[in-house]
Amino acid sequence: MSVIAPTFRLSYFLRSILDNVFWIIVLVTLVGIPAIQIVLFYIEMPVIDGELLTPFLALTWLADPSRAVPIIKALMYTDFFRIAVFPGFGLAALLAAGTIFVERKMLAKLQLRVGPFYCGKVEGILQLMGDGLKLISKEIIIPAKADKPIFWLAPVAFVGTAAAFVSLIPVAPGWVVADVDLGVLAVFAVIGFFPIVTILSAWSANSKFPFIGGIRALHQMISFEIPLILSLLGVVMLAGTMSLTGIVESQDFFPWIVFLPVGAIVFFICILAELERIPFDLPEAESEIVAGWLTEFSGMMYGLVQLGTYLKLYAFAALFTVMFLGGWSGPMLWPPFPEEIITDGIQLGPVTATIPGLPILDQAMLNGVLWFLLKTVAVIFFILLPRGVFPRIRIDMLLSLGWYKLIGLSFINIFIALALLYAGVLGPGGMI
Amino acid sequence: MDPLIPTTQPFLEKFPDVTIISDDADRPAILVPKEQILDAAIFAKEMGFDHAESVSGVDYPDENEIEVVYHLGSYTNDAMAKCVLALATRAPREDAPRPGQDSTRLPTLREVFYSVEFHEREIFEMLGVYFEGHPDNRRLLLPEDWADLPPMRKDFAIKGR
Amino acid sequence: MSTQLPPGLQLEKVDERIMTLNVGPQHPGSGHMRIIVQIDGDYIVACDPDPGYVHRGEEKMAEYRNYITNIPHLERPVIHDSCNILYPYVLGAEELLGIEVPERAKYVRVIAAELNRCVYTLYWLAIYGIFLGHSTMFMWPTGDRELFIDLLEKLTGARVTHAYFIPGGVRNDMPANFEDVCLRQVGYFEKRIAEYADVFYDNPILISRTADTGILSRNDAIRLGTTGSVLRASGVDYDVRKKEPYDVYDSMDFETNILKAGDAYARSKVPWLDMMESCRIIRDALSKMPKSGSVRTKLKPNPKGGDTSVYKRVESGRGALGCHIVSRKKPEPYRVKLSVGSFRNLIAMPYLLKGEKLGNMPSVYWSLNYWPVEADR
Repeated sequence: MSVIAPTFRLSYFLRSILDNVFWIIVLVTLVGIPAIQIVLFYIEMPVIDGELLTPFLALTWLADPSRAVPIIKALMYTDFFRIAVFPGFGLAALLAAGTIFVERKMLAKLQLRVGPFYCGKVEGILQLMGDGLKLISKEIIIPAKADKPIFWLAPVAFVGTAAAFVSLIPVAPGWVVADVDLGVLAVFAVIGFFPIVTILSAWSANSKFPFIGGIRALHQMISFEIPLILSLLGVVMLAGTMSLTGIVESQDFFPWIVFLPVGAIVFFICILAELERIPFDLPEAESEIVAGWLTEFSGMMYGLVQLGTYLKLYAFAALFTVMFLGGWSGPMLWPPFPEEIITDGIQLGPVTATIPGLPILDQAMLNGVLWFLLKTVAVIFFILLPRGVFPRIRIDMLLSLGWYKLIGLSFINIFIALALLYAGVLGPGGMI
Repeated sequence: MDPLIPTTQPFLEKFPDVTIISDDADRPAILVPKEQILDAAIFAKEMGFDHAESVSGVDYPDENEIEVVYHLGSYTNDAMAKCVLALATRAPREDAPRPGQDSTRLPTLREVFYSVEFHEREIFEMLGVYFEGHPDNRRLLLPEDWADLPPMRKDFAIKGR
Repeated sequence: MSTQLPPGLQLEKVDERIMTLNVGPQHPGSGHMRIIVQIDGDYIVACDPDPGYVHRGEEKMAEYRNYITNIPHLERPVIHDSCNILYPYVLGAEELLGIEVPERAKYVRVIAAELNRCVYTLYWLAIYGIFLGHSTMFMWPTGDRELFIDLLEKLTGARVTHAYFIPGGVRNDMPANFEDVCLRQVGYFEKRIAEYADVFYDNPILISRTADTGILSRNDAIRLGTTGSVLRASGVDYDVRKKEPYDVYDSMDFETNILKAGDAYARSKVPWLDMMESCRIIRDALSKMPKSGSVRTKLKPNPKGGDTSVYKRVESGRGALGCHIVSRKKPEPYRVKLSVGSFRNLIAMPYLLKGEKLGNMPSVYWSLNYWPVEADR
């Protein structure tokens, strides 16, 4: 009988934990808190109820929880929150993680198996965490003749580009990291970075299979960017604006997919190709070129690329929602905020707590986020679905599809849009 | 459909030196001297055998010869579908073999039966029979750095046996 | 550096346009072998298969063991098709040792061989699916393969390496309820196999990828000496079970599936059609089988063969499988040569891949019904 840790003693284990706790306390008190105090001098703190937010004020919510709400509200309107948590990286990463899990379970059900099952007791819900921990603990191996700085930079740049893409997506009225007037152009500009990052990483690995994979990715992305851009132009013409927020607002009554289904189909196929998903996963075709441009990545570098891939997936699905499905617009589903909590307070037995500042988020915003997420998840589901059904196609078939069929279809889409515009049916000053 | 295809008799008429090992209707077997193997193979092809199913080499140290047996079959001739002709020939065997450089040589049948190409490569590495005229006499199964005797010879013994 | 290289090694010229890819042996799309592919852009200009990474010297080992102890190790080259790879050896040993096989044993052998053919073909089909990036087609046959593995476990006692056929019959009789279970499982499988067409064989992307790629004409298929599904996909009507029936195949009711196209799609479809015929054979054999009787002839200990040689062949999952046994009046065979379908089909690989696109390599390669471990022996 084998024992995993033959010299295991509970006392040693407890002592090591206590050691760690001790050192954490020492370091926090001696280094952490003074550092925070120093840093706070240089950060512009919000003003709450005419009082500058100081650490002492921030900690008062421990004594009076009702004081926490204004502080949370103040923090929520900072740029940092928008970039890091909502609607920026945090939401996208959460959705990306959910996507990976749903993909695995759904594919498993499609293939008559169970998928992740043991990790986390309930249907393998913690499997993703386990995979992440495994990737973090793996050794990062760099090929000896790789161009090291670029090779190191590539995964980071990939995640960075994907995050930049995420930042352009409006989730709810006013809730967008970067509300650019020319949002569609900004999206095209950001998408243009992906092939560059891919070919740089593939070339810098100095290995044959990544090189072939990188070339394939370059061909694929560039040849599908053109129909992708063209298929969005119809929407831009009809909406009369290039701002993504403006495009969503133009779809209050009906989404553009009703009038521009051809464009939506072309855009969806281009999404699949840009995301390197089956049936267009040629850059990662494992039976031909091992893992394509990802072959030489190991450990967390690979994990970063995967994170970037799924961020990109979320961003494209969200872009589809914004352009064709009407973004956050939809009938009011979210229940109104119960008024009695503001007037009467929350009664917990003998205690009655009145919390000023509620509600934190208004009903329209929550409803918008709900609709946006519902639509985005549906699009993600349709992006995932072909993986269980289709084999991979070949690079020449892919290129002919991109250059002949999709570009032709997207021009047809533009003509439809122009016809609707000049007939005066839709668009700025149209009938509807 | 011809009930019986005379496969061994024509050989005996054309090549008087051949030895008939078996006259079975389904599994005829003949032994041809190595000078005539190429002509015999061409003759077999004219009779209707269009491919080689198997090429096996047998080492006979006590007779100081290595036998190479081509099993020829026919896909096109339906009457001969059951028949597999064993066309054997023998090459001289050397006690200290230097594969490719000694006298253990045979003419290749690859020009007659394309399908023997890989089989003959295997015989070359496994028994050291060099096939003259074969376009690709490289190793196939053995590692490139194999420096021992050709392993299917009888004097190559498995360890512990 | 001296230019005199030992035989087997050679210097290669390096071309600036041509990139040499070592596909394998550590490659998800190579199997246990290396394919040296030279590509010019996306086109393969030369392909040199390099098997031998799993060469285990089965033929050499067979010269040191007697006719009975050879059985468990000679099935090792294809453990997924272990009944069929033993079949010619057992037939040959029976002829050399002069053993008669009981009638019931012949039917049991046919059933076991057909079950095993399905096991192998499903495994092959699964890998063909994943080679084309179709992960559902990897999982479905792998799951359905369990049906036959369970049946074979019931029949032989082992899941993959059965060592079931012995000279003089089979090792043990069927369990009592085998017939019912077998009919039920085969009936389920026949429904299931039709669903493969929906997801795989009728898939437009699959057809556009594999049709008209790697075309092996009828004449070339004959000239290259290919066998099995590769041959039948090129329009040659040749199945050893029909042309030279062994055991009770002559009384079985089944068809030979012949497709004319000779492309990768036809080559991938023939084994699938063959599985349906296998199901028919299993049903037929179960109904025609004598309900009782012995399944093995008692052997003398350490039997000796005569001073002769035999060449026996059967139709395995990968084509005709020949076994050449030379006997010299000893308990051990003097020489055992397995002429396996994989090795014979290997010669078509450089022929077919030349001029193809790199993206066609997996589909053409695996459509050859090639099992690297078997080719190496």
